[in-house]
Amino acid sequence: MKRDVVERVLWNLSVDRFSKEKFRENPEKFLGRFALDDECRQMILNFEVDQMQKLGVNPMLTIGYWMEMAPDRRISSYNRKLRADSVSSHSASPKR
Amino acid sequence: MADVIGGFLVPHDPIMFSAPDAPDREKAQRVWEAYEVCARRLADSDATTVVIVGNDHYMLFGTTCLPKYCIAIGHAEGPIEQLPGLTKQQIDNHEELASHIASHGAENSFDWTVARSFTVDHAFSIPYQLIVRRAEQISGRQIKAIPVYIASAVDPYITTRRAYELGQQIASAVEAFDSTDKVFMIGSGGISHWVGTAEMGKVNEEFDREIINLCCEGDIEGLVSYTDEQILQRAGNGAMEIRNFLCAMGAVNPSRGTLIEYQPVREWVTGLGFIELEKS
Repeated sequence: MKRDVVERVLWNLSVDRFSKEKFRENPEKFLGRFALDDECRQMILNFEVDQMQKLGVNPMLTIGYWMEMAPDRRISSYNRKLRADSVSSHSASPKR
Repeated sequence: MADVIGGFLVPHDPIMFSAPDAPDREKAQRVWEAYEVCARRLADSDATTVVIVGNDHYMLFGTTCLPKYCIAIGHAEGPIEQLPGLTKQQIDNHEELASHIASHGAENSFDWTVARSFTVDHAFSIPYQLIVRRAEQISGRQIKAIPVYIASAVDPYITTRRAYELGQQIASAVEAFDSTDKVFMIGSGGISHWVGTAEMGKVNEEFDREIINLCCEGDIEGLVSYTDEQILQRAGNGAMEIRNFLCAMGAVNPSRGTLIEYQPVREWVTGLGFIELEKS
């Protein structure tokens, strides 16, 4: 499922130093290791955390990845990104 | 015979450490003082061991394996995060009792995931350092601690009823352990809080007080009657941590609980409740 592979990538980018370095060096090449479709690849490259949550990605991963990897790592920017396109209030619930 | 003699339900809010001055000073002080009250009460008890029930925040367990419940039976350390005021340290785990809980579970339909070595996160370290280690300082005696992690933040979640039953199994295992250990349970979790979602910063005081009242009344059926959707909608993904409360309550089997402190702290994005569980 899309959600599962996006969560795998975000978990790596939240906690794994080697993955973080490789993503910073060449994000496209790093993402090539994973079975991502183009939509998901663009979400990750563009830090579309709102879209990820709509896909069912756990918000603890979207915030962790944002705080580790986003060009603007501030929580206020993360919140603006999410609230620009209001996500369901129970976006943490298991999705299909 | 070892025995479970009491417990606490307390929060584990990392923002208290990263932004200690964000809320009103008096409000913040009351929260810090509540931990101190718990530490003093633990120091005054006969507890030799504390089982702390927390949950991963998608840092410890990756997508490759998501256990419903896990117990550290060997070397333990942490926290994994860098938080000012929390020291990375080894945990004085009661390895024999932890192993016994796991093997007792295997014989009683609770197939624990075991960690032969484990790094905890703030869900364990905050109550461990503010309550257990502090109680050691106050009392001058050693108190061991066992990390238990249940799936309260990453789905598939453990069900609320199973979390409670898991606590009951912990108590049965403790009672079957051939020692004179006296065990305290700590259910570590916030009440309403939204983590990483668009609603982050909201606190639902009405929901928090419902949960506090149910915990103080020992109303297990009331607590397990909330559906996941109700919890997520009314109190956020963080409130799924009331499972940690239920696990601790399952072990203590409290006749009632006593509210030590409650503060809804938007600046720390959480409804923070402190309850002492008194054994029936």
